[in-house]
Amino acid sequence: MFKLMKYEFRKTWMTKVILLGITAAAQVLFLFGLYGDHDNALGLSVFLLTMLAIGGVLVIGLESVITLHRDMNTKQSYMLFMTPNSSYAILGAKMLECGLSILITGVFFFGLGALDISLLFVKQGELNKLYEMIQQMIHTINEKITIDASGIASFLFSILAGWIGTISTAYLADVVSSALLNGKRFNGVVSFLLFLVLDWAMGWTAQQLTASITSINQSLVWSGVISLAFSAVMYFATAQIMERKLSV
Amino acid sequence: MILESKEVTKLFGSKRAVDGISLQLEKGHVYALLGPNGSGKTTWMKMAAGLIKPTSGTVAFEGAPVSIESRKHVAYMSTEPYFYAWMTVKDVGKYYQDFFEDFSYERYQKLLQKTELTEDLKTRALSSGMMAKLKIAVTLARDARVYMLDEPFNGIDLLARDDIRACILEYATEEKLLLLSSHLVEEMEAIADRAVFIKEGRLVENVDLDDMRSQRGESMADRYREIYGHTEG
Repeated sequence: MFKLMKYEFRKTWMTKVILLGITAAAQVLFLFGLYGDHDNALGLSVFLLTMLAIGGVLVIGLESVITLHRDMNTKQSYMLFMTPNSSYAILGAKMLECGLSILITGVFFFGLGALDISLLFVKQGELNKLYEMIQQMIHTINEKITIDASGIASFLFSILAGWIGTISTAYLADVVSSALLNGKRFNGVVSFLLFLVLDWAMGWTAQQLTASITSINQSLVWSGVISLAFSAVMYFATAQIMERKLSV
Repeated sequence: MILESKEVTKLFGSKRAVDGISLQLEKGHVYALLGPNGSGKTTWMKMAAGLIKPTSGTVAFEGAPVSIESRKHVAYMSTEPYFYAWMTVKDVGKYYQDFFEDFSYERYQKLLQKTELTEDLKTRALSSGMMAKLKIAVTLARDARVYMLDEPFNGIDLLARDDIRACILEYATEEKLLLLSSHLVEEMEAIADRAVFIKEGRLVENVDLDDMRSQRGESMADRYREIYGHTEG
């Protein structure tokens, strides 16, 4: 499994290097704007870093789905499927590599964001007042919400786990398309609809099961746990279809 | 019996690529798998390699249906290039070393020397002839029990072909089975001791070449012309 993961990482590392390079440039711009008192540069860098955080996590997930598609539908599929590895191991390596990359990227950008906000607070003390004002505003809208470390961590976990769940669903839809619907009419439409229905079902299930939880933080955490459990179900279903039906 | 195909059929939509092939292949032989384009040779090989699932029937390796276990002992070389574009020749060897216990990197390097390939070459920059040599080198660097080479001489010049033929024949031992498909019938005649003729997805015959020559007075090429003469026009 570790060897398979190594090669999964090797297939996608260039995107990660590019992402890291652009992030480093945006961070330099941020520091230049902050300590050189260039407000425009500061504003632009904050925008760039926010987009990179969101876009980075999205791109890593999407690239993983594209890689799986290529690994089933081009001649490079032989590299994977002629090795003595089961579909469970092959898919497991893909999901683990992708899931870990998403989590690490999310935590990395969260850490970077926390660092940059701290630097802003240190440099511009009056931002403390802004933070308190935002806290008060959110508290007025919904008194259950408070911005603290555990709240942010719960939110981050919920979002990242939800995205991993969505990617797992995309894996299943893609495998159904390649293994069961290959060569059939409306293959793409049917598999896309399957993806939409399953993704909606995951969200709906999480919503139903967390409806009675009053604490927002707990609700977010449980929602993330349900997404991960859903990913596990998708994994077994997908691997089973690959094992029984996939021809490359 | 090292490889056995029982009533194997493969449909692609409504097209019957392989149609009820029953075939027994024994170790200690070099088989030539013959037939024109689209006759089902590649599809059958891919089923034996576990890459394609049969629509019906089974392909068995040493009595058990092809599986993860059989992939440890069956070395398959596809006719199409299949290495990842980011790989160098060295990466290809390391990849095989990571996944196949019977792979020898030392042997791989020796085979590379024979084929005049260097480890730093990018696979995406290889010509079709160089790619064919690389595929053969990495496949033959395995100490497998079954070797299935699909069109191994495609894109390879005459001189390199002699080297490759010599490498292949080194593997023709009592314990191994070699199955080679090719359009180059005369080329195959010098290597194979048995021939499997496939036509329109069906097995025509699995024949011992010495018997065919002595009993019927036919060469493999004669028999090929006889079977496919009409379809190839």
